[in-house]
Amino acid sequence: MAEDKFTAIIVGAGPAGSTAAYLLAEQGIDVLLIERGETPGCKNMFGGRMYSYALHRIIPEFWEEAPLERQISREVITMLDGEKSTSISCQDENWAKPPYHSFTLLRAEFDAWLAAKAEDAGAILACGIRVDDVIMEDNRIIGIRAGDDEILADVVIAADGANSIITEKAGLRSKLSPADLATGVKEVIELPAKTIEERFNLQPDTGAAHLYAGTCTQGMSGGGFLYTNKSSISLGLVIKAAELQKNQYMLVDLIEDFKNQPSIAPLISGGEVVEYSAHLVPEAGISMAPRLFSDGILVTGDAAGFCINLGYLVRGMDLAIASGEAAAMSVVEAVKKNDFSAASLGIYTDLLVKNGVWSVMEAYRRAPQMLDTERLYTSYPTLLNNLLADMFTIDGSPPINLIDKLRQEVKNSKTSFINLAGDAWKGGRSL
Amino acid sequence: MAGVWVFAENYDYCLELLQIGRSLADKTGVQLTAFACGDKGIGQQYIYYGADQVFILPPLAEDQPLGTYVPAIVEAARQEDPDIILCAATLRGKEIAARVAAGLNTGLCSECIALAINSDNKLEMKRVIYGGAAMQTLTCKTRPQMATIPPHTFTPVTELDDTRSGIIKEIGPISSTPVKVLAKKPRAKESGDITRSRVLVCVGRGVEKEGDLKLAGDLAETLGGDLACTRPIAEELHWMPQETYIGLSGQKVKPELYIGLGISGQIQHTTGIRDARVICSINKDEDAPIFKISDYGIVGDLYEVVPFLSQELARLKKK
Amino acid sequence: MLNIIACFKWVIDHEDIKINPETHELVLDRAGYRISDYDRFAIEEAVALTEQYGGSTTAVTVGLPAAKKSLKDALARGPEKAIFINDPAFHNLEPSQTAAILAQSISNQEYDLIICGEGSGDLYAQQVGPRLAEHLNIPCASFVRKITIEGRELIAERRVDEGIEVISMPLPALVTVLPEINSPRVPGLKDTLSAAKKPVVEITASDLGQTFASCLETVEIKATTMERNCEKFGAEKDELKRFIDVLCRAGVVD
Ligand SMILES: Cc1cc2nc3c(=O)[nH]c(=O)nc-3n(C[C@H](O)[C@H](O)[C@H](O)COP(=O)(O)OP(=O)(O)OC[C@H]3O[C@@H](n4cnc5c(N)ncnc54)[C@H](O)[C@@H]3O)c2cc1C
Ligand SMILES: Cc1cc2nc3c(=O)[nH]c(=O)nc-3n(C[C@H](O)[C@H](O)[C@H](O)COP(=O)(O)OP(=O)(O)OC[C@H]3O[C@@H](n4cnc5c(N)ncnc54)[C@H](O)[C@@H]3O)c2cc1C
Ligand SMILES: Nc1ncnc2c1ncn2[C@@H]1O[C@H](COP(=O)(O)O)[C@@H](O)[C@H]1O
Repeated sequence: MAEDKFTAIIVGAGPAGSTAAYLLAEQGIDVLLIERGETPGCKNMFGGRMYSYALHRIIPEFWEEAPLERQISREVITMLDGEKSTSISCQDENWAKPPYHSFTLLRAEFDAWLAAKAEDAGAILACGIRVDDVIMEDNRIIGIRAGDDEILADVVIAADGANSIITEKAGLRSKLSPADLATGVKEVIELPAKTIEERFNLQPDTGAAHLYAGTCTQGMSGGGFLYTNKSSISLGLVIKAAELQKNQYMLVDLIEDFKNQPSIAPLISGGEVVEYSAHLVPEAGISMAPRLFSDGILVTGDAAGFCINLGYLVRGMDLAIASGEAAAMSVVEAVKKNDFSAASLGIYTDLLVKNGVWSVMEAYRRAPQMLDTERLYTSYPTLLNNLLADMFTIDGSPPINLIDKLRQEVKNSKTSFINLAGDAWKGGRSL
Repeated sequence: MAGVWVFAENYDYCLELLQIGRSLADKTGVQLTAFACGDKGIGQQYIYYGADQVFILPPLAEDQPLGTYVPAIVEAARQEDPDIILCAATLRGKEIAARVAAGLNTGLCSECIALAINSDNKLEMKRVIYGGAAMQTLTCKTRPQMATIPPHTFTPVTELDDTRSGIIKEIGPISSTPVKVLAKKPRAKESGDITRSRVLVCVGRGVEKEGDLKLAGDLAETLGGDLACTRPIAEELHWMPQETYIGLSGQKVKPELYIGLGISGQIQHTTGIRDARVICSINKDEDAPIFKISDYGIVGDLYEVVPFLSQELARLKKK
Repeated sequence: MLNIIACFKWVIDHEDIKINPETHELVLDRAGYRISDYDRFAIEEAVALTEQYGGSTTAVTVGLPAAKKSLKDALARGPEKAIFINDPAFHNLEPSQTAAILAQSISNQEYDLIICGEGSGDLYAQQVGPRLAEHLNIPCASFVRKITIEGRELIAERRVDEGIEVISMPLPALVTVLPEINSPRVPGLKDTLSAAKKPVVEITASDLGQTFASCLETVEIKATTMERNCEKFGAEKDELKRFIDVLCRAGVVD
């Protein structure tokens, strides 16, 4: 019983899916957007900050209407080592002026808004429905299956996130292993807006992004983040799934430890945890990417591995939006030709190159290897912190020669200058 | 004749309304009128307990529901224009009050839990909204000002003054309604009255199957208390009788000790335990909202915690 | 053949209600909305009855224009059509107004039965059903846990304080239903898709040709608070012993 047919079915109303649905509907193409959550975004989590450029391209001056929290005007990177920490802070007031550089936001509201834009443009949104499978005919994807229902489409767009079952069922990639994934865990901690502005030295609209490396992950690959929302703080950790498994740490314990760090505790003190969530992050960069298209199917966003994880920084929303845009444009072209074969949809990769997603992914190709360098989470933060702490500690002892001190610290940290130089090179290239 | 009117389907609840009704009538300097269903003797009692006037509603035929009285009450109110009508918020009472209010085109405060006369001589009423998350204070712009009062909100008048006299008026006859009572199935008295329990062990959906209620039962027994539950346990799973669920639409309880097992702590439930002296909870989810309103919370699996608690408490008791 | 009207309300999701800790005022501006839990049972009962006896269900709601979002969800649950009575003026309606607006809107419809939830998720006033019956001058039974239809008679089992009353009444009639009456179905993809195609009749305040004044006046709304110890214990044996100890000292365990 499949009397229903759409030109495009999009699975997943995250930023990738809703963007694609919005653009297709704008072109008058009949599109069905399916989301398993009761409302779009209700199950989605992320660190807390979206870079604006991608959405601005699609919905100019989206900040006028979208539910956003604060414009980021300050970036801080902190190396943690137990009692010690070293931070680099950078502020640029231009970031807080149109076209804003990045915003903190809450996904439950933002995703619902973006999906509503698609719906207003004419897309049909079906929430509370989990897509279980794709329908294949002669190796072509011709629709999807949800429960007992089958719906046909000329093209299916997989926008179902990191653990995409659509790409798996469509045979575009094999099952993910923990090595391909990181686990993110986040708490939203409520504090009065005034308190946040005082503690972080912010204006009523501006916000801060704090990224943490070092002891916050107990030596495992990953990092921590803290973003200021209007009247809450998003705080979390991202850790390689395989290491988490191996070390048998409980996420809740890790985040408790993180919150007790002397450089974090005062920032969140008195706040109330109102939300706790965990989510997967595609970890392995484009090396884990599935085939991005095939007959009757396109893959976008996290499902395609378009997410960059630098440990202390995860970035995927802008790439999800930009890849959703490229997917929509590919379908528009395919509709013109009435050809939804792989050959026709292949224009998708060209469009990804053109709109920058591909070059970003290429540029960070080595990030996963960089992340595998354990020294990054153990030795280096200690080294840096000891060096600087000693430099700043004046207790009447004779002054230290910085170079000697560095040599000493490198020795203590059981690493070598060769490693250091090598990692710096790798790091430089991957950033 | 202006005044305060009270209507309750049963005698005890009517005495509660006479208590609050008397004080409102005295404060505003008006008379207090009670309805008595079908019995002049009861009418006389109501006068001894504080009513100035009683309307005797005629007895109902076996197959006539209580709602048959609605047109008669509406008609009486139209003629006499009372200031205030209070109804006991029994299940039938709530329906009758709403229909009377519609008939009189006036406002009704449902399940009012506090009443006062404000400086404008108007009735100020409080009720919970948003499942118990908020308290709304209301006045009624139209006449009569109406409210339903949940049973046990006020203590019944206990002082009987058999020298009091008042007017007894018979109302009727009344016409029958098309609604016919075919059968009445009184519920089996399987449970005690949890509103009077000193200790309550309350079970929620965290209990996996009906047989596991015994775990909770054992704990209740050791503590000398009774078993209660959340609404889904009674209404959806039917593991326990209706009258043992606590909350907004269930019982409001005030035990010395409440222990919740596997209860998330949704506001609609916890609004019923507001007056408990000590609230304890056992839940395996450390972020469960119930912990925010508990004095003492145990983060753990009830299947491990409860047997140990029962055992320890029994051991202590023996000593 | 039964023409059934199921009344539902689009209410604030109580889990989203925030409280300003200083003023104890409610912060509702960022809360989501949903079909009132109890009204899902009303819609399900209407649909199940028409499936059993033949006929069709109309879902009806009164609210602000923004409540339009509820229609797809409601229609996905099985009704054939919806009546959406909306106006920017329908803000914070109280039961007397809602019932009067419903009565005015429904009066020219053909119906055999009206089903309401026992109470709405936000106000839980339990008034709209009986008030509506009174306005329409039809018999009513509230807190119903079972419905059967025999010809033009409706037999209902309703809860009363001392147990259960089985009643009969002639159609057209109104009932309010308890959650125990059924288990609402979860709409599938096809249900959701077909919902988008079902007819919706819109009625606005001006179509009703009269205004609906409120009878009640809200003096204030304040968050209820519950200040408790909030001490947490682990599940280890010594923690549990400490727990018992605390209860003993509080004098609630002897
Ligand atoms: C801890 C953490 C921190 C992060 N921090 C940031 C950050 O600060 N900035 C940033 O830009 N990015 C961040 N990211 C990455 C970002 O969240 C993702 O890259 C982005 O959400 C990807 O968008 P998407 O639309 O591809 O997928 P998603 O946002 O994951 O959306 C997928 C949607 O599909 C739905 N779905 C899944 N399966 C099905 C199915 N079978 N049927 C129907 N629906 C389905 C899901 O419910 C979901 O709504 C972070 C991620 C994590 C985990
Ligand atoms: C208008 C309205 C009125 C309502 N009135 C009432 C009312 O009067 N009374 C009422 O109770 N409800 C009422 N409700 C329903 C209420 O909203 C909740 O749905 C209900 O109280 C939840 O019951 P629960 O806590 O048993 O179940 P759940 O919310 O499902 O919670 C189960 C809990 O058990 C925990 N758990 C699971 N397994 C274990 C284990 N092994 N060990 C320890 N913990 C475990 C879980 O972590 C979870 O927190 C009303 C709702 C509405 C909308
Ligand atoms: N705005 C509304 N629109 C449609 N039906 C409503 C509305 N408000 C209440 N109802 C119906 O009346 C019942 C009781 O509501 P209430 O009297 O507010 O508790 C609800 O369960 C609904 O079935």
